[in-house]
Amino acid sequence: EKMASKVSVVLRPVKSIVVRFCPFEPNVESTRKFLQSIYHKKIQATNTNCEVTADVRHDGSEPVVDVTFADGDRLIMKGAHLTTGEMLTALASRCNAKDLKEEQKSKKKNP
Amino acid sequence: GWLPALQLLRRGSKAVTRHWKAAHFQRQKLLALTEYLPPRPALPPRCLPRPAPPQQQEDGYARVLRAQLEATLRASRMVAVCQYNAMAEEDMATLRHFLRRHNIHVKFVLNEVARAVLAQSRLQNLLPLFVCRNILLVSPEPRAREMLRVLRGVPQVNLLGACIDDTILSRQGVENLARLPSLEVCQGQTVAALSLLPSQTCSLLQRGPAHLAALLEQHIRRLRGAGGAAEPPPGPGTA
Repeated sequence: EKMASKVSVVLRPVKSIVVRFCPFEPNVESTRKFLQSIYHKKIQATNTNCEVTADVRHDGSEPVVDVTFADGDRLIMKGAHLTTGEMLTALASRCNAKDLKEEQKSKKKNP
Repeated sequence: GWLPALQLLRRGSKAVTRHWKAAHFQRQKLLALTEYLPPRPALPPRCLPRPAPPQQQEDGYARVLRAQLEATLRASRMVAVCQYNAMAEEDMATLRHFLRRHNIHVKFVLNEVARAVLAQSRLQNLLPLFVCRNILLVSPEPRAREMLRVLRGVPQVNLLGACIDDTILSRQGVENLARLPSLEVCQGQTVAALSLLPSQTCSLLQRGPAHLAALLEQHIRRLRGAGGAAEPPPGPGTA
């Protein structure tokens, strides 16, 4: 179960994560594992301001992960047919890209 | 006797050498004779029917866990299934303390054990909930309101579903249950609603004659007020 959390996600550019799923559906396993790995100590330690909310419903809707970044971007991942590793790598890649952009911006400001 | 020439001894190597040395002919013959021949079965093993896969050993520990879980489920009226995400030890201890105050016990469960137990009990609709790490909150009293209040302060534990008094509820069901008034209040409200109509029957039946009596009183007063009545009004008519 830890193989998906070998992907270390830096949550600094993330403002909030909302994980919405319906636990009585059969396709929520990867989304639940994603939620479990998000709550890992190391990932939570990278950003304590990030609010992680779990929305548990019973309307047969698809499992959805809604990530809001600090600069207003949103990443919506439909977890019905995705694996946990894929979702984590997607999030990690976007976080790293945003981090790089921030560093470049700050470098430009302070030469 | 015949002694080998000194040149032979000087030139020939010893018995044990670092290079390959051809074996003596007699030794060669002995080795060829005593070569290992593996036993060949009359029928190659791939022609035989496949052996049955090894039966899963009935694990005593799993049996004990299952028995414990069954006993817990039988003894409790309220069973709530929550997803447990990583939490600090102190937070876990605080959560346990607050839940214990309302007589709610926290039990960690393994999915295999839980699935085996639930498949035989009547809670089969809770089977798809047991994926990833779960905990069970069991209690002999259905304290949904306090449980929800405590869980709201802990974001790492997500309530997925519950079985309260033989009724399987989702998260919304538990929230609605928490908002319901207590059993005594409900019973009082039902009794009041049922006895509302009978209490009105008495006044309903008397409404007609009471109305007539009021009208006649009014009439008498007016006649008396007018000073002198022609003839007393007829007695109260049949209702």
